[in-house]
Amino acid sequence: MSAKLDLYKLHKSEYVTPKAPALVCMKPAQYLAISGQGAPGGERFTACIGALYGAAFTIKMKRKFAGKQDYAVCKLEGQWFFDGDPATLPKNQWKWKLMIRTPDFISQADLKTAVVTLLERGKSPEVKEVTLETIDEGNCIQMLHVGPYEKENETVALMRSFAETKGLKLSGPHHEIYLSDPRRVPPERLKTILRVPAPKQAA
Amino acid sequence: MKTVAKPATLRFYKERLLCVLVHVQQHLDEPLALEELARVAFLAPFHFHHVFTGMLGESLGSHLRRLRLERAACRLKLTNTPVAQVAFEAAYETHESFSRAFRKAFGLSPVQFRRRNGASALIQNASGVHYRDEKRPGNFRAAQLQEKTMQIIIKNLPPTRVAFMRHIGPYREVGKTWEHFTMLLGKDGLLGPGAQFIGIPHDDPAVTPSQKIRYDACVTVDAKFRADGEIGVQVVPGGDYAVLTHFGPYENLGDSYAKLLGQWLPRSGWRLRATPCLEIYFNSPENTEPDDLVTDIHAPLEII
Repeated sequence: MSAKLDLYKLHKSEYVTPKAPALVCMKPAQYLAISGQGAPGGERFTACIGALYGAAFTIKMKRKFAGKQDYAVCKLEGQWFFDGDPATLPKNQWKWKLMIRTPDFISQADLKTAVVTLLERGKSPEVKEVTLETIDEGNCIQMLHVGPYEKENETVALMRSFAETKGLKLSGPHHEIYLSDPRRVPPERLKTILRVPAPKQAA
Repeated sequence: MKTVAKPATLRFYKERLLCVLVHVQQHLDEPLALEELARVAFLAPFHFHHVFTGMLGESLGSHLRRLRLERAACRLKLTNTPVAQVAFEAAYETHESFSRAFRKAFGLSPVQFRRRNGASALIQNASGVHYRDEKRPGNFRAAQLQEKTMQIIIKNLPPTRVAFMRHIGPYREVGKTWEHFTMLLGKDGLLGPGAQFIGIPHDDPAVTPSQKIRYDACVTVDAKFRADGEIGVQVVPGGDYAVLTHFGPYENLGDSYAKLLGQWLPRSGWRLRATPCLEIYFNSPENTEPDDLVTDIHAPLEII
């Protein structure tokens, strides 16, 4: 099993979990992704998670069966886009992109084949919306948030003041890496990596 | 759910285990067959050990070893039987291994113990069950609920159709079966949205030789799926289940089983149905640290 590629271990410096805000530098990274709008945990959100994992597993297992390099399917991540203040914006207007980090050797053709297989199995039509894309976040502020998602604003406030001391400004979109499973882990023990791009200011 | 002791169930399980304890003391020199003990206890063989370990606070194996050592201590104290003979009767192959175990339990070598008058021949144990010449343990203290807030949920599951692959061998190696099984399913798009990962452990590692342990790795499938080659189809029985969420490494699942079946169950007002327990996995060791693994243990129930 040691031969299995684990992207989080390979890119250790990008998945640090500091208890205080820290600077990380992200290189361009490939993700399987699916976008939508609506409350987290809602019907659309849940269907999209299912579609994303369905695509991720199908791509991986087809490769593995073909005897190609095996790798671990990474954890769920998400980017959040708010037209306004998330504290007052109704949840059904929240926009998000759910993502799973995926090795560079996975191609659009791999995705396409997997989607065809899933649709043949009669799986949910959302799988057609899954994309394979590269995201380049560059310079970011990152910190581990422990606790309910509702309290992330406290952690983000710490990240914002840290950015200011470094002469940087948080630019968004806000990125979350879900280390815990909210279906069973109690809210106060949920671990989430928060990452917000903070581009270097032109001198 | 708050767990309130229901005296009737506790009595029900205590009576069953007492029969087992009597049987064990009467047959200390024989290899004990799981089927035989489970029959004495009126429990399904695959449930027996979890109930025993949970209620007595020690596994059947440790219980046997402790009682044999206590009996050896009695013989050293009350008879002139040579130490080598006592060691042999206690089922130790060599004098040295007996002496080591004896010293660990009593703090003295067998010879020192024999010389010292008044040394206790009992090894401390929470259950209060000890070796007795008359071979009848009168009662025992059932292990208390360790956690007052043990979160148990009663769930009614519908019968569930699953594809499965049978693993035969030690539990610590089921990961290999899962790897192969999920590859075969996954390449055909069968790990799509809604697929659930279920484990059915059929044997207890405390009694079944590890090479003979049976375990089914299962993934939910729809009615169209057909068995093929190494992959079979079965229906996981529906009905009431007590569910305890186990957090952490799979090696420690036994502790949670003992809590659920040995501590909670005897006080619950329910009894076990003779179908296997289920494990439902929420995450994968492939991308999760062992401490963060989450497993729902399901114990099948029926009303007494």
